[in-house]
Amino acid sequence: MKGNSAATTSAPSNMAAANKLMWLSLFFILIGVSGAVYAQMVGHHHAFANTREMPWGMLIGVYAYFAIISTGLCVLAAFSHAFGGNQMAPLANRMVWLSIISLLGAFMVIGLEIENPWRMPLGVILYPNVTSNIWWMGTLYGMAVGVMFLELLLILTKRYKLAIFLGVIAAITEALANSNLGAVFASLQARPFWYGSQLPVFFLACAVLSGAAAIVIFTYFSHILQKRPMDEHTFRGLQTAGKIMVLMTFLVTLATLWKFINASVSNQELALAADSLLKGPLAINFWVFEIGIGLILPGLLLVITRLKSIHVLSAAALMILVGQFFSRFNMVVSGEIVPFDYEYVGVPQYLSYTPSIAEYLLVIAGLGVVGFGFVIGERFFDETFHAGSH
Amino acid sequence: MKKVFVFVVVGVVLFSGALLFAADKAVPEDYDEDTYGPKDPIVWEKPVKAVVFDHKVHTMEGGLECDSCHDELFQMEAGAAQENDDFTMATLYDGGYCGACHDGSTAFASNTRCTACHIGVRGSDRLQGDAAAGKKAH
Amino acid sequence: MKIDDLEQMESEDLSTLSSAERRRFLKIGLAVTGMYLGGSILSLISVKNAHAAGVVPEAGTYPYNPHYSMVLREHLCIDCERCKEACVKTNHVPSYGFRTTILEKRRSLGEDKSETIFVPVLCNHCNRPPCVRVCPTTATWKDEKTGIVVMDPSRCIGCKTCMAACPYNARYFKEETRAVDKCDFCLQSRLSKGETNPACVEACPADVRVFGNLADPKSRVFQLVHAPDTMVWVLRPETGAVPNVFYINS
Repeated sequence: MKGNSAATTSAPSNMAAANKLMWLSLFFILIGVSGAVYAQMVGHHHAFANTREMPWGMLIGVYAYFAIISTGLCVLAAFSHAFGGNQMAPLANRMVWLSIISLLGAFMVIGLEIENPWRMPLGVILYPNVTSNIWWMGTLYGMAVGVMFLELLLILTKRYKLAIFLGVIAAITEALANSNLGAVFASLQARPFWYGSQLPVFFLACAVLSGAAAIVIFTYFSHILQKRPMDEHTFRGLQTAGKIMVLMTFLVTLATLWKFINASVSNQELALAADSLLKGPLAINFWVFEIGIGLILPGLLLVITRLKSIHVLSAAALMILVGQFFSRFNMVVSGEIVPFDYEYVGVPQYLSYTPSIAEYLLVIAGLGVVGFGFVIGERFFDETFHAGSH
Repeated sequence: MKKVFVFVVVGVVLFSGALLFAADKAVPEDYDEDTYGPKDPIVWEKPVKAVVFDHKVHTMEGGLECDSCHDELFQMEAGAAQENDDFTMATLYDGGYCGACHDGSTAFASNTRCTACHIGVRGSDRLQGDAAAGKKAH
Repeated sequence: MKIDDLEQMESEDLSTLSSAERRRFLKIGLAVTGMYLGGSILSLISVKNAHAAGVVPEAGTYPYNPHYSMVLREHLCIDCERCKEACVKTNHVPSYGFRTTILEKRRSLGEDKSETIFVPVLCNHCNRPPCVRVCPTTATWKDEKTGIVVMDPSRCIGCKTCMAACPYNARYFKEETRAVDKCDFCLQSRLSKGETNPACVEACPADVRVFGNLADPKSRVFQLVHAPDTMVWVLRPETGAVPNVFYINS
């Protein structure tokens, strides 16, 4: 295809856009980290909107958001690499890199969110707790990022056999890390709206959905940035990602539906939590963003256009990623929004939570890391990202 | 005799319930402090915090006269009793202070229904919050 | 090796495996799987065997000795908050936090009347503490001698998972120590110095809070929760945390 020949000779004029994006990303990281430093100085207690009753907020959601995207990309990459010859193979190398950078984005956010990040590296090694899902999640995600860096190195040096093997290891590690992330919430009996066996699998489903969406949108951005026409192999790969999006929007919608039906036939605490999304303080987040923009609309758009338009594919991918962002936020907040003692005097039915400016700044830091990683990928690994398409 | 009967029926029935919502209910227009005693509830802070006495519940609604309690059981000065060393539950059980009526036959016994009078720091804060809000409105 | 020698050797096939040995092997397998599943299996095995036929464990099945617990005689609480003041003073609790507090609920007495019930709450020092299970750096654990759930502030990374996991809202983040803080039955401030009661118990004027060793049949806590015709309840029993703070009304 014509596009391929252009791959190695991307015009220097495109570097201007890449440069801009890079500086913008660095700026994002800078203001995000400044926000985190400020939050440390005045105390998270003042800087963040979290409280004793609602210890987790948007940042935990954003951490989960990036981590889940990373898992999706890593798993899809392993499938494409390992069972080569499928339509997504041309995208696999890029997926590995994107998986790494979204995980780094996740680490950035969680690292700035916890109170004493400096106690963590030694703490988890010297005083591990094997019953702690959060320990496993951190350990496995940490391992995964190491394995993926090795995999990337092997891909760059064209040692594909071992790379595929490592890719599979990474994918298994990521999947286990991801379901432990689910279990961080799902194993808490104290929080009935999180508790249950659904969440870890739901997270994996969301991972596949957002991973597919991420590869579509980033490949699309890449082609815009490089001013390169899309070749047929790549487009077919994106169409396959589109099929995955259709399937997964349906499955995730279904899972969401059952979650609410189940809550409605349970006790009052669950019903109240469900109502916070259906008609309570989270209703707009839920109906407009998580369900409307995040699942129904992109699903319909993709089906109606039969995956024929790259623009619709990308728009749907973007919508899904926005929806998933809200989905994580809603998941975190709805699990804590009903106070334990809601039937006591002076206790509101719903706790209020509005993210603070410092929290938004930290999110921007995470986005900055992903954006910066994307530009670095475009600069240095462009050839490799296209190697798979031959 | 009739007076006692009225007190038992009205007093016991109304006392705690009315007391709980005393803060919520506006004091009626015809409340006359000269007849019924001070409008604002007394909140004792000693020997323990946040114990309430509301004149309205006892006089206007319960039918007690001023001389039912003053000056034999309590000085006229509002809240003065808490300075006495014997202002304790033990004295009440022996028929002193509130215990003169709150003995289980005239009104509910002093060692039952603790939270009817002990509105707690929470209840006291609420009462003061309301009072402050009320004063602001005037 | 000659064939005769070989015949004399003990067979190593499966038929000679005792069932105990099989079970042991299976257990190892399960344990390994459990490790890999990130504790989702391990977590089902409680810290100690929890006997939860009713909320009060059978006599003689208390995992610790002394097995510290508290009985709250709920209807006597008048919310004078001396317990809170004593706790704040004894354990240097900042103004934005609390280790123990008093909740308030209303119970209808019919028509438009109701009564107020004050509910003192604190860490329940659960037999299966969710907070202990979730901590990634074992910064919190059940003290091996007393069963008290304790904290090591220097290990706390501030992820706040224990706060999310606690069914009793018993934990808060203390900026001063940069760690989650919680009630330890005054283990550090009093019990370890020879006192027999936590500060809140000593401060209570109404004898609401009764503290003691549940494993000792002569202790008052034991006698209160095992008294005939007594209704004993705990908060949020459905979470399976098996709390050691009991509520009674007599």
